[in-house]
Amino acid sequence: MACGSTSLWAGETSWFCCGNAWGPCTGAGGGACGNCQSSANHGAWPNASQACWDITRPDLCGENIPRRGCGSVMNVKHQCSGATVCITITDCGPRTKEWCGEASCCNGQCRTNRVLDLTPAAYSALGDLSSGMLPVYIYE
Amino acid sequence: MTAHQTGSGGIDRRRLLARAALGGATIVGATALGGIDADAAFAAQQPSLDPAISKSEFVEGRITAISGSVLEVAGSYGDRSRVQMTNATSVWKVRPTTAKVIEVGDGLYARGVKMPDGTVAADAVWVNIVNIHTTIRGIEKQRLHLAHGSHEITGNVIGDTSAAYAGRAPTSDLSRLRIGQSAQVLGAWRPSDNSVDVVRISVGH
Amino acid sequence: MLSTTSSLAPVALAVLLGWTGALKLFGSGAARQAPKTALARMLSSSERAVLVLRATGLAELLLAAGLLAAPRSPLPGAATALLGACFLGYLARARVIAPESSCGCTANDSAPVTWRAFARAGLVLAGGAAAATASAAWWTTVGERPAASAAVLAAGGVLLTALSADLERWWLLPLRRTRMRLFGHPLAGGTAGGKQVPVAATVQLLENSLAWQAASPVVRSGLLDHWDEAGWRFLLYSGLYVEEDGEARPVSVVFALDATASRDTAGAPAARVSVVDADTGEPVGVDLAAVRPRDALPVAG
Repeated sequence: MACGSTSLWAGETSWFCCGNAWGPCTGAGGGACGNCQSSANHGAWPNASQACWDITRPDLCGENIPRRGCGSVMNVKHQCSGATVCITITDCGPRTKEWCGEASCCNGQCRTNRVLDLTPAAYSALGDLSSGMLPVYIYE
Repeated sequence: MTAHQTGSGGIDRRRLLARAALGGATIVGATALGGIDADAAFAAQQPSLDPAISKSEFVEGRITAISGSVLEVAGSYGDRSRVQMTNATSVWKVRPTTAKVIEVGDGLYARGVKMPDGTVAADAVWVNIVNIHTTIRGIEKQRLHLAHGSHEITGNVIGDTSAAYAGRAPTSDLSRLRIGQSAQVLGAWRPSDNSVDVVRISVGH
Repeated sequence: MLSTTSSLAPVALAVLLGWTGALKLFGSGAARQAPKTALARMLSSSERAVLVLRATGLAELLLAAGLLAAPRSPLPGAATALLGACFLGYLARARVIAPESSCGCTANDSAPVTWRAFARAGLVLAGGAAAATASAAWWTTVGERPAASAAVLAAGGVLLTALSADLERWWLLPLRRTRMRLFGHPLAGGTAGGKQVPVAATVQLLENSLAWQAASPVVRSGLLDHWDEAGWRFLLYSGLYVEEDGEARPVSVVFALDATASRDTAGAPAARVSVVDADTGEPVGVDLAAVRPRDALPVAG
């Protein structure tokens, strides 16, 4: 699938698990789109649908994130290292409103607010799962 | 001092590495490489990606057997993989550690490079790692009661549990956690009792 | 006392069934939760599960009314006991075929089937049996022994509340908060780590630094090892350095940062970095400013 190069958004990304899995992730299900898998390069977007937006409410942090539904493809780039990964949106998240103002930085250049959640497969292509949070640029 | 494990060698190797880092080392200050206008870089067109470039491999699943330095992994979708551990492989299980602490039954995520025989030579493996969105429902000296969706999870408070408040740096001060707060918990699942060792708990405002 | 309990059982049951019945029949939660219930799995249809939930709600409301209005007739009590037995059977089946599903017991509650659901269904069965054998109407008992009646009803209320997971936020959390206010924060006074900066904070500082930005194209592993020495905190990674001739050389990348600094510390603390050969320990002359950005990882999935 094509992975574009037009800038869409920037912010922080965290990671989450979905689909068949082990541990507390058991029963996480296939996410809002039904096909989310931890082992695939998937992601969760705060405006995957109106119902999703009502839960995540990024506007409360001043982020008027555009609607990108299930199946949207995004190219996510680590702001510091330049590593990138191409993902498909398969879930709704993160709950941006709960983390307003939180920042991840690269040499003083900071990205604020959680605007993306990645599966372990996608996140580990950009960084260390034990870090939990990365500053990223998102292209489509 | 917190001298955790030594991945590849003992104290002598650490001394050597420390000397290298401090002695003949490149010192990188905040502006040593010159300013990089990150926002301008973002707006610029991205070079298109070359699909021919080799891909890093990702493995997910439960460890079913350990034979020497190879982990046999059963994926959650029925797939099977073999993960080769090397001296250069980093291992995370609650903290940075060595392959010795990995057990059959553990859950695993690994990143590496696929070898011609199909085995994945791991750069990094994360054992039992979880990163879950929870609500704090109870706080005790040794554990936290957490709700993850409709599931109750016991979060064990361990020696190196740290907390991050409203985007600040992680600290060992856990006294500002409150009942009812939403919290992101990065931790290690314990397959024996299904609880989670809390490594870092982040709360918002 | 036993006769007081059995004659008051209809009241406690009516409150419980009235509440759960109303939630199932009128609550919007029923339609929302139905797909997650074990019932939906058994009937292989969320719509049918909603219908069954609503019908059960109606039955519960009718039984609640019957228990209150005709306490001396054994019929409402017997029917309630039968309903309790059905609940138990359903829960046992749900536990077998869909242990992760919710029971749909109160229509608002999405918690999986637990021992509490079984205990509550057991109480409905026992309470129904007691109500069927009650010799006196509940209002007679309340009139004759008001204090004992109040005590029995209060005990019943506490028991049923304790067995309802979705009521916890109304009593358990405030109770725990009060306990913390009275006895102090259980985690105050620091943990074993004391005032030391956690390694996670140093790693975060590193990952935010220009040193990381410059060296990360070489780094392949996660954090391999860390140790403190003489005020420095050393962080060790392994990596692969591709030389000009295309030869890939395994290297160790070691960073040194101020052990007391974190992202919240004022100023921009310097990070030192060195790349050494993984086998010989000889420093590798990597020009970090010239390291190619790691764009080798991306690929369309």
